[in-house]
Amino acid sequence: MKRKVPIAIIFVVGQFLAFFMDGSISQILSGTLFKYPNTMVPCLTMMWLILAAFFGNSKKLHLSAWAAIIGFIFDMYYTGILGVYVFIFPLVVYLCQVIYQQLPPSFMSGFLVYFLGITVLVTLGFVANAFIGQASTSVSQFLVNTLAPTLALNLVFLAILYFPIETLYRTHRR
Amino acid sequence: MQKFFSSRKLVIVIVCLIISFGLMTVSVAIRNKRSTPPMIQQFGNDIVGFADRVVAVPMNGVQHGFVSVKNLLNTYQENQRLKSKVDLLAQTQVKDQTLERENKQLKRQLNVGSTLTGYEKINAAVITRTPSSWASQVIINKGQAAGVKKDMPVIAGPGLIGTIAEVNKTNSKVVLVSNTAENSNRFAIQIVGSDSKVVNGIITSYDSQSNRIVMGNITSKAKLAKGDRVSTSGLGGTIPKGIYVGTVSKIAEDDYGLAKKVYIKPAANLNDIEVVSVAVRE
Repeated sequence: MKRKVPIAIIFVVGQFLAFFMDGSISQILSGTLFKYPNTMVPCLTMMWLILAAFFGNSKKLHLSAWAAIIGFIFDMYYTGILGVYVFIFPLVVYLCQVIYQQLPPSFMSGFLVYFLGITVLVTLGFVANAFIGQASTSVSQFLVNTLAPTLALNLVFLAILYFPIETLYRTHRR
Repeated sequence: MQKFFSSRKLVIVIVCLIISFGLMTVSVAIRNKRSTPPMIQQFGNDIVGFADRVVAVPMNGVQHGFVSVKNLLNTYQENQRLKSKVDLLAQTQVKDQTLERENKQLKRQLNVGSTLTGYEKINAAVITRTPSSWASQVIINKGQAAGVKKDMPVIAGPGLIGTIAEVNKTNSKVVLVSNTAENSNRFAIQIVGSDSKVVNGIITSYDSQSNRIVMGNITSKAKLAKGDRVSTSGLGGTIPKGIYVGTVSKIAEDDYGLAKKVYIKPAANLNDIEVVSVAVRE
């Protein structure tokens, strides 16, 4: 039988892949995603981390550390403003993990927790950017033009990728 | 809940918040003042940039495939439309050539070396775009090594799209004019009115609801009309003169009714950028 690739390596590689896919999707579909006045932001990196928190063993995967590392790279490479996502990523992962453990493990509860996670991620991102003067929209505009479309887009991504990723972790647990 | 907010966790949260605010303030300050980010950050960005090309190149390839199929379907209509413009273009080109030669001769006669209009282009491809609502930024594959410097203007297709915000060795970040941050978008531009009077000003903000660049604080009495062309004025800093920005789409009074506010329709499509050129003033 073929030797299995350890899940920890798949996790790290997939995380970087998701990270670069975020940027590539934003670039390629920028005509649709950033159509005025709405902005939809793909958060595949966050989805990969949250799903790892759901299905994987977060201690063995060193999940919080990797969330902080990828958050730091995100700040450095994409936005150029350090100290935003390096803290938001681990926080969201931690929150999602704590809440998910209280719920029965099913697609619906995963969906709900993911919904909350993305809401926290986007909102904290908005607060941080408003603090340094990058974001200048009002809160109501933010809710309608950014948060809602972003949630819609990311829930679609989740619906597509939830079961494949679950299968991946399940086959590796045996 | 008792466990959730134990004193140890509270201390960690507060320390994290302080570090976060500190880092944010420092990086904003560095971004505004220094020409390049710190060495470590630059190095990291270069490495990530290289890795990104492995993902971005096939993705962009797929997009090219789709776009070429779409283009094929649109070709006939476009051909019809363009044919009517070709004659005009040839005429303009010849005129442009003649004028350029004449301009050069006149400059030589007057002993004027380089003026504000002269610039060279560095061509670059877009690697990726920042997945964020708050930073309209793209990352291009040319950096310090190719001669890119901070604050240089970037052109895509017909007109200006933004300026260089951060330069690494092999890639750099371009902030688009559609960025709504308070400290971006300060281009010196000018509008030539119908009576060939020139109105100078700067871009003050961006209206994301209608996709218009706003030029504020205009007190000039010169008459402007919808459709007047807007270009950079070359005043102040590194931006050369005569880069096309867009056309006037609306003229309104500002909030106090004292000065005018001009809404400009950008010439380039800010959401479909693949290849850009960085303009370097000679």
